[in-house]
Formats: sequence, C-alpha cells, structure tokens
Amino acid sequence: MDFDALFSGLDRHTLDGITRGSIYALVALGYTMVYGVMKLINFAHSEVFMVGTWTVLGVYTVLGVSTGETLPVVIGATLLALLAAMIASAGTALAVERIAYRPLRKKGAPPLIFLITGIGCSLVLVELFGQVFEVLFGPPFGRVTVNIPSVLETKELFTIPGIDLTITNTRVIIIVGAIAMMMALDTFVNKSRLGRGVRAVAQDPDTASLMGVNQNRVIMLVFVLGGAMAGVAALLYTIQYDITKFDIGFIIGLKAFTAAVLGGIGNLRGALVGGLLLGIAEVYASTIWSSEWANVTAFVVLVVVLMFRPTGLLGESLGKARA
Amino acid sequence: MGLGALALALTVTASACGTTDTDDGGSASGEDCNFKIGVMGALSGANASIVLPSVDGAELALNQWENDECEVTLEKFDTEGDPAKATPVATQIAGDDTFIGVIGGAFSGETRATKSIYNDAGVTMVSQSATATDLTQEDQVEVFHRLVPYDDYQGAAIAKYLTDELGASKVFVVDNSEAYGEPLADRVEETLGDSMVQRDKTEVGQTDFAPTISKMESAAPDAVFYGGYIAEAAPLLKQMRDAGIEAPFVGGDGLYGADFGNAVGDAGEGAVVMCPCAPIEEDSTFAADYEAEFGSAPGAYAAEGFDAMTVFLAALDDGARTREDVETFVDGYTGEGLSKEIAFDENGDVPQENVSYWAYKNEGGTLVPEVEVAP
Repeated sequence: MDFDALFSGLDRHTLDGITRGSIYALVALGYTMVYGVMKLINFAHSEVFMVGTWTVLGVYTVLGVSTGETLPVVIGATLLALLAAMIASAGTALAVERIAYRPLRKKGAPPLIFLITGIGCSLVLVELFGQVFEVLFGPPFGRVTVNIPSVLETKELFTIPGIDLTITNTRVIIIVGAIAMMMALDTFVNKSRLGRGVRAVAQDPDTASLMGVNQNRVIMLVFVLGGAMAGVAALLYTIQYDITKFDIGFIIGLKAFTAAVLGGIGNLRGALVGGLLLGIAEVYASTIWSSEWANVTAFVVLVVVLMFRPTGLLGESLGKARA
Repeated sequence: MGLGALALALTVTASACGTTDTDDGGSASGEDCNFKIGVMGALSGANASIVLPSVDGAELALNQWENDECEVTLEKFDTEGDPAKATPVATQIAGDDTFIGVIGGAFSGETRATKSIYNDAGVTMVSQSATATDLTQEDQVEVFHRLVPYDDYQGAAIAKYLTDELGASKVFVVDNSEAYGEPLADRVEETLGDSMVQRDKTEVGQTDFAPTISKMESAAPDAVFYGGYIAEAAPLLKQMRDAGIEAPFVGGDGLYGADFGNAVGDAGEGAVVMCPCAPIEEDSTFAADYEAEFGSAPGAYAAEGFDAMTVFLAALDDGARTREDVETFVDGYTGEGLSKEIAFDENGDVPQENVSYWAYKNEGGTLVPEVEVAP
C-alpha cells in the first residue's frame, strides 16, 4: 500500500482518472438514455462503441494517413474520423433497435426477452468483427489487437505552474470534447422540441402517445443519440490508446454501465458524475495498490453508494430532468 | 467398472461434440497402426502468433515422416489459450483411444488445467512452449514433458540480459497477474535483487495503463520488464512512449510472436523479446521446407513443434502401439532435435545445459536475433 504515491501526485492521478472517466461517461449516456425511455438495459451498446473504433481505423486507412502529418491534415482526418464514427455507431445502434428490439416491442414481449436479445446482438457484432469479417476480408479483422496509427500525436501543451502538472493536447481534447458533447446532449434533451418528446415518453409513454408524441420515433432518436455519443467516445478512445480489438467493447461497456448506475441510471448528468467518479476511483486504487485492485475498488464504491442512495448519486430521472 | 462407464461416457460426449472422429475407438489400438495426435493451444486470438508456427512445425514433421505401416493424423484444437476452453478439449482427447499423444498445451495456464485429465487417461503430453515452473517442479504428473526450460531459468536469463547487456541498475518490473507473467516476473525480481526499482501489477484485458505509467515516471527506471502477453504489452508500451519514457522495454517469450510488431506499431521499435529458443538458421533445410509448405519463415516455436511431433513419430517407428508404450518410449527418448538436444529428466524437463536463451530485437516489426544470454 503506497499512499505517498497517491498524495505526492494527486493532481496527476486525478487528471488520469478524469481522462479515463470521460470516456466511460460518454458511453454511459447510451445506456442511460435508452433506460430512461424504455426501462431497458441495451447490452449491445458496448459493441456500438466497438464499431466506432473500427470506423476510425477504416477512415485512417482509406485516407492513408499516419503519424507525422501536417496540422491541417491531422485536423481534417480527425474530424472526418469523428463524423464517420458517430454515423457508424449511431447506425449500428439504430440497426439493433430496428432489427432486434422493435419486433419484440410490437409483440409485447416481456422485459427479460429484451435483455437476452441485447446480449445476443452484442455477441453477433463481436463475432462479426472477430470471425466473419476475417473470413471475408482478412486482416486486420480477427481476434488480434490492432494498432491504429496515432494520427493525432500526443504533445505537451503547457505546464500548470506551482503544481508542475503537464497538460497534453490529447488530454484537453478528450476531457473538453467529452464534456462539451454531454452538455450539448443535455441542452438538447432539456430545451429542444424533440427533447421534450423524449422527456414526455420517459415520464409516461401512454400519455405521451395520446398527446401526439410518436413513441417509435422517440425511441429511434434515443438510440441514435446514444450511438453517436459512443462514436465520439470511440474516437477519443483511439486518440488515447491507439488500439482496437473485436472484444474491446466488453470492459468499457461494463464500466460505462456501472458508471450509469452509480450516477443514477436514466439521468444524463448522473452519467457524467458516475463516469468521472468511477475513473478517479480506479486510478487512485491502481496507484495505491496496483491495477488488479481497480475493479474491486470501483465496485466497492458502487455497492457503498447504492446502499445509501439506491437510485444512484443523482437519482433516476430522464423524464424529470432538472432544467 | 466405474472407470469403464466413465470412459464410455467420455467417448459418447466426444462424438456428441462433433469431432471428426469416425474410427471405432477400440479397433485402432491393435494390429493396424492408425492413430491421432492432438495439438492444443491458442490457434486464434491475440496470442495465436505465438502458437500457430509450432502447429505448422508439427504438421511439417508429420508430412516428412516415412512409415509404411502407420497412418497418423494431426488434429488441431483451438483453446484460445483459455484454461476453461482447454478442459473440454482434454476430456475429448482422453476419451478417444485413437489419440496416443498431445502436443501442448502451448500456454502454462491451460496446461495446468488439463495435465491431470491427460494423466488419468495416460495420454503423453509434449509441450512446445509451456514454461511455468510449477508444471514440472510442483505436483508433477507422469505424462507431462516439455521441450522448453522452465521460467526460473528464463527469468534468470532475462535479469542477466537487463543488468549485463543493458547495464540497467533501476529496472521497473510489471506483470499481468496471471499464471505465466506473474511467476516469471517474480523470478526476474528475485534475480535482479537491488537492481529492481519498483514492481507493479496489471491485469489481462487492461488497456489503460496510466497509473503504471505515472509510477514509472516517478521511479525513473533505466529499463522496463513486462511479464505477460502481446495483447496487453502493445498498449502498455505505446502509452510509455507517449508519456516520453524512453527506457528500453524487455519482455519474455509471451511476446515472441509475429503479431507483436503489428500490434505495437512504431512504439515497439527496439523492444527486446527474450526467448528460450535459438534462432532458426535462414539457410537450413527446415527453414526452406517450412517456407515451401506454409509460405512464410518459421516463427515462434516452430522448431519445438517439429521436435514434439518427431518424438511421437519416433515412438511409432519404435513399435509403440498403446498409450503406455508411447509414454515409456518418450520418457527414455534421446535425440538431436532441431531446437536442441532432446532428453527428458524424471520431471519431464529437458536438461538445462541443452537450452540456449536468446534476445530478439524488434526492428521494423520483425524480431531479429540480437544476442545469446547464459542465465
């Protein structure tokens, strides 16, 4: 146990935790929005994220960009990758809803069936990238870890004087990017006309229908929005870690789901709070002991929080979202 | 009686699992010589490149074998290196009498999980690459043999490379908290003594190594050793280099696969992989035959795979026709293998003096032999 290591570099570890947590939070939005509207945990969401990381690789490969490009090329390629990842992830989420969930909804299937279907979709997507595409297209698909060229290279931007904390460009992009996307989504749900529809269905689906809200359209919208956020998370993830793999979504998805529950599932701001708290708890635990303690600590935090606040830190409330 | 029923149950399970086996289990182990040899390991997945060349090596040995009397087929079982997936494979092989031996397990974890199943059925195992110390040094089983030295020696060789070749006096040791990486790192730590500055543990499946990196930054090591496999080594090394830690990176034979260079990209340039395996000479007949057969130069443990098959085939040449015959023959086997002078001591290990340790350097994505290290 090494508390000195934690306290001597507390600022640095907190920054590491926020970086990790920002990505959890973005993915958590997808779980939380779908849950808020449908009371359903969409287990295929982790693979929506995975598809995003592969899309980034695809864009870089098609453009032929690699490390050491000029600044305009770097910015252009990154933005293009962002857009493509958002579209691909949103498309995947939408496809899962249309192909897997909607037919079940029409037939009024019990909630458990949706859960199993979600897990099934998740496995199908994993094996698509891990097996089917390998057979059809060969490498880089398959079960190996794939290197994504670091088009956006890590560079030191500035050092915060006094505490001697170095800030890199990638950290700024990840943290600012993640928080900006979440604020945009929060504003959209709370302020826009479509957002009002989302909140209406979350509060009371039947009454919302009577008031002329198209329930299916709202459900498609939350899948698309959640998927697009997972696409943003995918780009930020590849900027930070430069890799992807067919099953990369599994652990991120599990953590994001935990973050959503920690913050209060169904609550957009809860996803942010939960994600950041989880990221920081993991990094602190890894510093005090080692990385093998990260998960234990994260889940102990979850259990303790749920003991005192069973609906999570900010409570379940997409419908009652405080404006 | 009880055993017979169990064996029958196992055979039924085996055919229910959809094996390609069509032979009648009993008839083969008699006058006609018609056998199968299994090979079990990670044939797919992030670590497959450490295993597949040895399977090809075994296949090459079988193709080149000349024996009019016997018919042998090599059956490949993909465990993805996962002990949980290896156990049903072992049960299937053990229950099918036409299997007279197994090449593998390729990794230590799966070997540990299956060796008692093979032992109960009397199936001889010759592993091409499972190096965990306890496999032969603690609770030994009769049937297990391996063509590689155990990690106590590999760990000592790695420590020696770090201190003598790199001149390191502040080594940062990281492991993956699992059957192969952790004991290897323990041994490296033990041999390094005061030359180790700090130790950290990570997990299989981890991709964010920020806490480990910040520990490295404050420890300022002059070399880093990682005990683990390719899947986690690649992101770890990339994040180290991104953070500006330029200390040499050294890994064990868990990184000795062609995929290492691909997974790690530019950040892996100059990384060193230690392996208890001598380089295969490029102009050897084995290298030429292998290339002709599989279209690439022999990779990780290809020679060991070839040797493992050779040992089994020699048993059949010698007239062994039952699992007991094979076990007796392999125990007493001596011969000049491709990888080393082969013999097995009472624990199933090759004599330490027959083994050579090599450091391979990653240059442009290929592992190039650098220097031989004596532990």
